[in-house]
Amino acid sequence: MSAARPAVDLDGVYRAEFGRAVATLARFTGDIDLAEDAVQEAFAIALRTWARDGAPANPGAWITTTARRRALDRLRRESARHGKEHEAVLTAPGPADIEVSELPDDQLRMIFTCCHPALAPESRVALTLRLVCGLRTAEIARAFLQSEATVAQRISRAKAKIRHAGIPWRVPPAHLLPERAPTVLAVVYLLFTEGYFATAGPAAVRDDLCDEALRVGRLLCGLLPVEERAVRAEAHGLLALMMLTDSRRSQRRRDDGELIPLEEQDRGRWDRQSIRAGLNCLLVAAEGGGPYLAQARIAAAHAVAPTWAATDWTAIVAAYDELLGYTPSPAARVNRAVAVGFRDGPEAGLRALEEVADGSRVADGQPIAAARADLYRRAGRLTEAAQNYRIALVATGNDAARGYLHRRLAEVEHMCRGEGPGA
Amino acid sequence: MYYLALLTGDEGEAVAHPGTAEFDAEVEQYAAFDARVAEVIAGGAALYPSADAVTIRQGGTDTLVTDGPFAEHAEVVGGFYVFDVPDLDAATDLVRQLPAVATGSVELRPLVQWLPHDEPGPDWWMALLWEQADSALTPGTPEWDAAVAEHERFGERVGPVLRGGGALQPPSTATTVRGSDGPPLLTDGPFTETAEVVAGLYLFTAPDRRAATEIAAKIPIGPGGGTEVRQVVNLGA
Repeated sequence: MSAARPAVDLDGVYRAEFGRAVATLARFTGDIDLAEDAVQEAFAIALRTWARDGAPANPGAWITTTARRRALDRLRRESARHGKEHEAVLTAPGPADIEVSELPDDQLRMIFTCCHPALAPESRVALTLRLVCGLRTAEIARAFLQSEATVAQRISRAKAKIRHAGIPWRVPPAHLLPERAPTVLAVVYLLFTEGYFATAGPAAVRDDLCDEALRVGRLLCGLLPVEERAVRAEAHGLLALMMLTDSRRSQRRRDDGELIPLEEQDRGRWDRQSIRAGLNCLLVAAEGGGPYLAQARIAAAHAVAPTWAATDWTAIVAAYDELLGYTPSPAARVNRAVAVGFRDGPEAGLRALEEVADGSRVADGQPIAAARADLYRRAGRLTEAAQNYRIALVATGNDAARGYLHRRLAEVEHMCRGEGPGA
Repeated sequence: MYYLALLTGDEGEAVAHPGTAEFDAEVEQYAAFDARVAEVIAGGAALYPSADAVTIRQGGTDTLVTDGPFAEHAEVVGGFYVFDVPDLDAATDLVRQLPAVATGSVELRPLVQWLPHDEPGPDWWMALLWEQADSALTPGTPEWDAAVAEHERFGERVGPVLRGGGALQPPSTATTVRGSDGPPLLTDGPFTETAEVVAGLYLFTAPDRRAATEIAAKIPIGPGGGTEVRQVVNLGA
């Protein structure tokens, strides 16, 4: 009988079921550590028995039921030793061997607990990847270029704090949701940007981070209560932003790792399904507001433009204005000036950029020099363009971005020579 | 679960000293808070400024007594509350209603145990127990149990003057709440950014500062730690 069974994809089951199982067990035992250990043990048993007997029909339920038995065994042993009973489990309804039913809220509770503001920001990220996404400590360490010991210690300290400081395992009540949700969204967006924009670390690991961010983003959108309109809208704004950005994931780099500017990407190979899903999310997001929605609108304008030239720059400048209302970051101001350059011409862009540079500490930074160089190049002012590409190169440590700047510099230098002295 | 809320702030010129109109106004704000959430308050006291504090340290075999607080922190402990609430969110909910959050910060830390006390009287003092963060003990370890035994012996020695007190969970369980434009900002860790952290406290009675210092000198001190004696403000007067 077992010979006829298909090969078991334990890794796939682990990825798909780990977070769900830990969340269910955490509700059942009231102890995150115990939940994690029990699920881990269940997978160890699965590794032994599934290879021999084949995978069960419902691997997720098998893991949860097995983990529940392990947790109960452990609690019984401990209560026998301490001579006291563990209330949370021993008073739980139902006999020990029935299946533990999953509640969709379990995972939402887990997300909010992992992203509790009383935990250090880097701990929130590591805990979410471990307990919600089921990444192993070594995988998290690789993704953030840290030692495995550092990550392991961070995770165990955070779990200890949850337990000893009395951080509740729950979805915050309605009056706290508006201030707690942004902390969660920030963790999810950080996972995504680490995966999408980080230049260090193996590419496969970075792709995993993007996938996990999208997964938690989808979970949040699916689980947040419908009546919490503003919070749900914001979560959809983030998911839209991630999906629309992610639709270009395969096209964002050359084989040698150099970043490909949007203008030069093969639009035919953008992921249409991602774009459609992102645009759908944008509809829900538009019921609210927030910085993610503004950024999603920018990403959407690019996603729907048939060509670079046909991009709706008016919409993009408007979305940047909206974004600056929430976060007046130097990078957003620079990007807005660049968008003005496409809407009204490079000279207008340069004027907008000078407004950003005036009295700003970004004046000498790499993003502004690179933006200025591009605008000069478009305006045909090649000497100034070359000069600014050189400034930008000095200020850039990022190899992928340096590749682009070098290429542009060589291009304008070549054009300078071709057009005669003093050009 | 008992949580200690340490109310801290900058003791600059802005601080309201007992006996001034500003102080009375603050007291009224706190009285309103006390009345609103009376059922979850398990302790608390306001303290005289740290300039009047006395600090006791162990120097080799000698006991060193100096004027002033234990450590020169920008933010100084000005009072405390103990809340009996189910979890950290409930404690944070209370802390954000305190005037101290707007002007300074409040450190929240679970107490391992807490001896509830009566309304502080005119002869009440507080001993704030400081320790080095890296030598903080963990409940349940033999070292912790040994320290508890030492404190029990102290309790037996000084007997009836003790009015209340408790030991804190290690500093890794601390959360600090600070005021901001929006909702109060939570950070992981104690209010001090130095190596010294609060380990626990005692409330006791003594006729004067000298007697209070003598009692506090009997409190066990860990390596690198110290005991800061502070006079409690008698709000019932």
